Amino acid sequence: MTTDHAPAFVAKRTGLVRFISTYGQEVVIAGAIIALFVLVSMVSPRFLSANNLNTIISGNAYIAVAAIGMSMIIITGHIDVSVGALIGVLATISGTLATAGYPVWIAWTLPILIGVGINAIVGALVAYGRIPSIVVTLGMLSILRGGLVSITGGAWINDLPPDFHLAQQRLLDIPIPIWFMVVLTVGAFLWMRHTAFGRSLFAIGGNIEAARASGIPVERRVVQVFMIHGAFAGLATVLFATQLRIIQSTVPPNLELTIITAAVIGGVSILGGTGTVIGSTLAAILFSAIGSAMIFINVSPYWLRAVIGVLILITVLIDMARRVREQRSAKR
Amino acid sequence: MLRTSLAVLAILSLSTSLVQAQSAWTGGDDLPTSPLACDGTPATPVAKPYDGGMTTNAPDRNGKPITVVDVPKLIGIGYFDATSKGIAEAAAELGNMTATTDGPTEANIDDQITLIDNYITKGVDGILFAANDPVAIAPVLKKALAAGINVVGYDANSEPDARQWFVNQAEFNGIAKSLIDSLVAETGADASFAIVTSTFTTPNQARWIAEMAAYAAACHPGLKWLETVEAQEDNILSFNQANTLINKYGDDLKGIVGMTSVATPAAADAVTQAGKCGSIAVVGLATPNAMKPYVASDCVKSVVLWNPVDLGYVAAHVLRAVADGTLKPGDTTVKAGKLGELSVINGSEILVGAPFVFNKGNIEGFDF
Repeated sequence: MTTDHAPAFVAKRTGLVRFISTYGQEVVIAGAIIALFVLVSMVSPRFLSANNLNTIISGNAYIAVAAIGMSMIIITGHIDVSVGALIGVLATISGTLATAGYPVWIAWTLPILIGVGINAIVGALVAYGRIPSIVVTLGMLSILRGGLVSITGGAWINDLPPDFHLAQQRLLDIPIPIWFMVVLTVGAFLWMRHTAFGRSLFAIGGNIEAARASGIPVERRVVQVFMIHGAFAGLATVLFATQLRIIQSTVPPNLELTIITAAVIGGVSILGGTGTVIGSTLAAILFSAIGSAMIFINVSPYWLRAVIGVLILITVLIDMARRVREQRSAKR
Repeated sequence: MLRTSLAVLAILSLSTSLVQAQSAWTGGDDLPTSPLACDGTPATPVAKPYDGGMTTNAPDRNGKPITVVDVPKLIGIGYFDATSKGIAEAAAELGNMTATTDGPTEANIDDQITLIDNYITKGVDGILFAANDPVAIAPVLKKALAAGINVVGYDANSEPDARQWFVNQAEFNGIAKSLIDSLVAETGADASFAIVTSTFTTPNQARWIAEMAAYAAACHPGLKWLETVEAQEDNILSFNQANTLINKYGDDLKGIVGMTSVATPAAADAVTQAGKCGSIAVVGLATPNAMKPYVASDCVKSVVLWNPVDLGYVAAHVLRAVADGTLKPGDTTVKAGKLGELSVINGSEILVGAPFVFNKGNIEGFDF
């Protein structure tokens, strides 16, 4: 059990030390966000205006929601590069249902079920077909992207009913995307930490043979985690599709990479076995905070990519170093 | 050590100042600009010898009925439905032209080549095309010219010597003038505005921004450009960037110019959701379908592009003129039915005219 160090399994240590060693990455990102807020607001106080905080926190909410499912996939030791295309397909389905006159709640929820269904197929191919997840999801990426263009013919949906736009609503004066992001993140975090099912994901990604030996039904769990990931992709779609008054037949370029990056910078080990969804959500907020800061302090957006690239490298290096250290201490 | 750092600093500051010298506005390229006259007087075309191709042994078609095939990039999308509508309109008006549209179902160059090849074998008098690839399409078009078939391109060019004429929908300086004039019409000539583009290096967008800067400097010197932000081809990022601009500049921001069909509607949505319709003008380049909700709600007054119906209409008239022999290499104008006399530019291209501005009155008539 050399790599089995999910938060819940960390050996007895006390107080702050234990907290920081378990949630190191989350603490670093939260610190980075606060530092950014303080520094930029000194140059431009408007950066901290309520409107701008809303823009920053809700701006990447759909990425944060999709990154919750992605974190679970990566923690289990897999990857999904088709999620961007899936969100595009589900958004078009959602918009088509809404314009066809179905009640908006059907337009919101049916895509979630379809996301679960599509990912059940992906998960089954990975778990029972024994095909590496990167191969299956690359195939799914082509199918979804090609299917989307051929079926829509590149046409955009621009006659959505007004009550369709859930992401533009507010509850208690807080935008709906923020509610989605916070509730889903906290819920998923607690579920992964405190249920046997949730913990088994860490066990499978940490050491699959040990997990199997301890009686975890590995194949079934993998299919299930892909289905849950599909549900989060569907929930992300609700935010993505209802934010603007038109739905395009294309998705943001490299959306899947942005989602994977949020998970990895948030502290989810790309090798599986560790990480939390708090980290991935904080990372998604950090991205939009950096993007907003770049405009407020007039820095070229080319730096944004450079900064995110450096963050990825540092995170992966820290992850590697931590593993080497743990392997050494396990040998002792 | 100190000396080295100073040298590095000097080089760095030099290089940044060089970068700044390239374009007045960020996101523009450093190619030479040619702003149009403020009052819209057409620019005197720079004389350039004819560089189009020639047919071999073409029969005398003057005034005789001709069959023409139109091969757009793909069929089944609103944009090329509109161009073929224009072609059909011109054919009906001329009376001595039968035009059919037949194109690939996907924008695929191989399918397009096969299709054109089949029509050469079948025998037509003229081919109209919008190329999926300017280089790859050249051999089959040259084959058509060699078979005596008149060849005219529109929308997307081929290599010049592979066709006789190309109908150019809009020039960069024309689009730039239209965008800036539409902005000034809403905000007044002394307003501050920002630009949302795809990336600073996207060729067409960079060209348009450079031309906008040159035209604004010449014709609306009071207009204040604040900054240009990148939003890739990402609708939510475009929306976030536009929101950030609104948050940053507050009441100083009077206008946003969107440079793509993704950025312009997203900027309009940001302005709508911020409750700033009427106090922040949104103008931009976009297809009518992308902008209909915002034009209908009066948040956006003008969307700049070109009219694809006119584009097809002119292409058909040009083909008729070539077949009749009334448009010859070296000519500087051509008559295009109801659109009147159009200028020849760049050696062998015909400019349709000023860009088309979609507004509440006309946008519902377009579906692309």
